[in-house]
Amino acid sequence: MGRDVKARFRDSGGLGVILIALGFILFGSATSIHRTTDFIIFCIFVLGFDLLYGHMGRLSFGHMLFFGSGAYAAGLLVRYVTPNPLLAILVGICGGALVGAILGPVVVRATGACFALINLAFDQVGYFLALVAFAKFTGGEDGLSLTFSKVPFLNIANPKVFFGFALFCLCLTYYFLKRLTSSPYGVLLRTIKENETRAQFIGYNTYRYKWVTFVVSSSISAFAGALATINYGYVNPSFIDPTRNVEVIFAALIGGAGNLYGAILGGVSYMVISNYLARYIPRWEMFLGIALLVLVFKFREGIWGNILSVWKSRTQTGG
Amino acid sequence: MISTLIYGLTIGGILYIISIGLSLTFGSMRIVNFAHGMIYTTGAYILIAALPLIRSNFFAGILIAILVVIPISFIIEKFIIRRLYGESIDYAIIATYAVLLIGVDLVKWIWGTSPIPLSDPVGKSVTFLTIEVPVYRLIIILVSLTICVGLWLFFKKTIVGKIVIAGLQDREAVRSLGISVDRYFSIVFVLGSCLAALGGVLYAPITTVHPYMGFHILLISFAVVIVGGLGSLKGTTISAFALGMVMAITGRFWGPAAEAMVFAVMAVVLIIKPIEV
Repeated sequence: MGRDVKARFRDSGGLGVILIALGFILFGSATSIHRTTDFIIFCIFVLGFDLLYGHMGRLSFGHMLFFGSGAYAAGLLVRYVTPNPLLAILVGICGGALVGAILGPVVVRATGACFALINLAFDQVGYFLALVAFAKFTGGEDGLSLTFSKVPFLNIANPKVFFGFALFCLCLTYYFLKRLTSSPYGVLLRTIKENETRAQFIGYNTYRYKWVTFVVSSSISAFAGALATINYGYVNPSFIDPTRNVEVIFAALIGGAGNLYGAILGGVSYMVISNYLARYIPRWEMFLGIALLVLVFKFREGIWGNILSVWKSRTQTGG
Repeated sequence: MISTLIYGLTIGGILYIISIGLSLTFGSMRIVNFAHGMIYTTGAYILIAALPLIRSNFFAGILIAILVVIPISFIIEKFIIRRLYGESIDYAIIATYAVLLIGVDLVKWIWGTSPIPLSDPVGKSVTFLTIEVPVYRLIIILVSLTICVGLWLFFKKTIVGKIVIAGLQDREAVRSLGISVDRYFSIVFVLGSCLAALGGVLYAPITTVHPYMGFHILLISFAVVIVGGLGSLKGTTISAFALGMVMAITGRFWGPAAEAMVFAVMAVVLIIKPIEV
């Protein structure tokens, strides 16, 4: 009976939530709180990206678009309508979901290379819209600097409170994705990744599932974007810059694609590299390029995949 | 009006020269080659490095740029692209993007990040129905048309071209004839890279040369390839000139929107005729 409860707790994602929360609290108290909040937000973004890449097998090369839509939707609301941060997050998510829902029918029909490139092209359009076309509202290259109002129980200005809030958001996202990917729907996603034609044979309208997944993924990315806006207190075109797409791809690869722990490990690894190691690396882009080549050719399973295989060989020799 | 037309044809010609290499690599190896943008940038920078050495002879510069690019593209093909045959397309995208990143950073390391302007190598212009047209633009249009005809002859008349076309359509069948398709595809890859360098060199005097120039033109070239139908040479030709005109006409009314308009056209084409690969 006790074993049953334990297994159920693990499968429902409760164990993961506790592990993630503990890990980040330890990490945050060891380093700076503000920076760790940044890490947490990036992990949410990687989770959203990996739902599409790792679980459904569609590599998007333009996910910054959704991150940026969330950030700009939140930023514009705060600047022109109301300075309420919670509403800003809500509007940010809706903004990302809306962009995803509009682009979905065009994008999800394509696979492989086309999927990646079409996303990248739309990201470029979004960048142009934010930087030039709507510069009157978005502040163009300078962006918008924002001030938020106080909400009961949630004092955004206090870094510790916002750290807790971001961590809560990450756990919420993790829990949601854990339930989603362990459900029959998640199995169908993996079927689409492995063999879409077969999923269609069984009678599933894969087009609709892909669209829904695309919208969910873009909403989560927009969620991260809105949180980042609040964390930094400003929004500028670097939030939607197409050349930054490689960051999230790098994170998903290094952590191990197709696994929620892998995504979070990857997010943390990338942020650690770019925040702490970048100081000692004079040529950052070259380092990133070489590291990507190593990941693609030698380290495809990522950190989490390697941990799993070591674990498996241990338990097999042991038992 | 006429200047817009000439401008559109110039951009279309450049886009054609760059996109045809992308289209060939995609059609033959199913690989989306981001490294193409790096070759394009390299070509332009080699020209800049070579110009003082050869007393600013632009046409010798073009030759040098192409000659330098051949070994670079050969190395990329041998150590990166060849290892990706038959792998998931996602890894090919990431690996070639990594090559692009390394190339851009090398260029920044050697030449710095600030844009380098180049003057028009011909400098003359002809008056054409009361409108002044730079001769250089006419040369670009001529060169692209020559390449168009040249490639057509290459694929129709030479045995290498025929093998490549056959390989594009049915790789296994060509293999079963005892022909090593991969070797011919690597020739095609180098050929495409030479064209990318040529495109970079030709376009350099019209725009400015900067490390990220490859990234922007690459995105537009991808749009050309997607609009033209992936791997279709005829489609690529038509869509390159059509999108060049789109850019010129948009640019006439609102300069910064020219690039975005290309992607808007691409979206419309995709809605009308979705890709089901």
